[in-house]
Amino acid sequence: MLASLPSALQTLANYRIHNTRASKEVVEKGKVLLDAKTASSLGDDAWAFLEQLTLAAIDVANYEVADECLRQLAAQFPESPRVDVLSGIRMEATQPPETALKFYDELLETDSSNAAIYKRRISVLIRIGKIEQAVTELSDYLDTFYTDVEGWVELAELYSSCNQYTSATRALSHALLLAPQNPFYVLQFAETAYTADDIPLAIKMFMLALDIIDRHASEESIPTGVSIRAWYGVKLCCRALSERSCSSASDTLLPKNLPLLDELSTERVLTAYSAAGKDNATGRELVLSWMGPSDRSGSRLHFVR
Amino acid sequence: MSSPAVSLYLDPQIRDWVLFPITLILVGILRHYVVLLLQSPPKKLPKAAIREQRALSRSQILRATSANSPIPPSYYRSISSRLHTAFEAGTYLKDGPPQGDAPSTPANPMTDPAAMDGMMAGMKTQMVMMVPQMVIMGWINFFFQGFVLIKLPFPLTLGFKSMLQRGIETQDMDVRWVSSLSWYFLNFFGLNGLYRLILGNDNYTSQAMMSSPFAGTNQPGQPQDYVKLFKAEKDNLAFSEGLYSWLGDDVETRLLRKYSKL
Repeated sequence: MLASLPSALQTLANYRIHNTRASKEVVEKGKVLLDAKTASSLGDDAWAFLEQLTLAAIDVANYEVADECLRQLAAQFPESPRVDVLSGIRMEATQPPETALKFYDELLETDSSNAAIYKRRISVLIRIGKIEQAVTELSDYLDTFYTDVEGWVELAELYSSCNQYTSATRALSHALLLAPQNPFYVLQFAETAYTADDIPLAIKMFMLALDIIDRHASEESIPTGVSIRAWYGVKLCCRALSERSCSSASDTLLPKNLPLLDELSTERVLTAYSAAGKDNATGRELVLSWMGPSDRSGSRLHFVR
Repeated sequence: MSSPAVSLYLDPQIRDWVLFPITLILVGILRHYVVLLLQSPPKKLPKAAIREQRALSRSQILRATSANSPIPPSYYRSISSRLHTAFEAGTYLKDGPPQGDAPSTPANPMTDPAAMDGMMAGMKTQMVMMVPQMVIMGWINFFFQGFVLIKLPFPLTLGFKSMLQRGIETQDMDVRWVSSLSWYFLNFFGLNGLYRLILGNDNYTSQAMMSSPFAGTNQPGQPQDYVKLFKAEKDNLAFSEGLYSWLGDDVETRLLRKYSKL
């Protein structure tokens, strides 16, 4: 068993770096380490390990291990805001949400600059379904801690869950400003705009996403992953634009060369499906039948996203 | 003394008791730990103060990409004008918007206890930098003046004489011999990399080099006048709005070109 300890430590450190949520393995490996009392030999890494183990143990409802870790952490770092957050999470696991909220309120009273506590509070509010209050508090939080990209994306998702798609795109625009290099946010923006029925904006954003994703793509390359999704988006927007007149709430101009774009997106989606091999046969059939008639005769297919 | 090149013999005790202490222990490591002892934990700011501090970064983030902005015009303009009004009205100021047309004066650091604390902390570390420096300097001046400490393994021109042989008034000595006082100064300025290696990246010794007492006076804890900063930022915002262009403006042309449809 002793021989496996270093490798276990290595794996755990790896999980920490890559932010992997493999709670079951972490608890299995971590329990051995905790029993072997090797924590003290780890030096400064020990505390990061204990934090990781606490979260994982709460994740798999192994509260004994979590409490033991918390006890050690609290002994080492009394009054640490990070340990406060952990004990808050532990409280959320077994006690009613009101208790946790009260605990967080007290913490914020003494130290109003602890961003993590605000986020925990908001997550509890979301869990108990007080979306309205969560949105208010999240907006207030983001007004101070503007650079929290995940906060903006979360706000967008909250808005979307209440069908407030225009507000959701507004929240996402801040995420775009903060992380302009991330194609997933652009794609999410595009899809939200599509759902909000702002088709001209949506098609532009789909194309912007493709601009980032397919930076190194050429005519011969086969679209994969998010790229296919974005090409589908372009295709859907083209179809919508050809079928009806679309207004744009954001006053976005229609792209030029729409027929060419339609042609290109059809071609790209079909490329993705033709090259995928035999295991994709059913998918290809469906795509072909969806693409085919509408492109040739312009028959109306209702497509629900 | 037949040849001037090998004319001096240095006592090995000098190496053990002077060269090593000056080189390693006294100059840096000791100071690092003294500073660590005297450091007070960073002061926690109330939320309103953080908001005030970070308000500028919001507009900076918006401006950073304005020439090739990822967000469409209507969105850009709404954010920009919202920030503009907020800066004008002073929404982000810690103590709320200014009342009436009272002249905005920077808070006097002597009356604001929070600013006072910051100044004290700065002065404390400065003092810690100064005191051991004075002690070591005095100690070296007193005991080791006129010492020759080591011989450099490479020849140097006469120009280095004043740099390497401070405290020794010998006209004819080879420049390769280094006096103790000079060695101290060389280490003081040149051992940054070594300290970083021994003490980790964010040690106080190498930071002290940046703001060493020789580098002139730097004002610790000068309070920022956010009213003025926000005013200046308003102009920057207007300027960036002129530069603004959306990445999506010609994205279809770019895309069609890439797949040679155009």
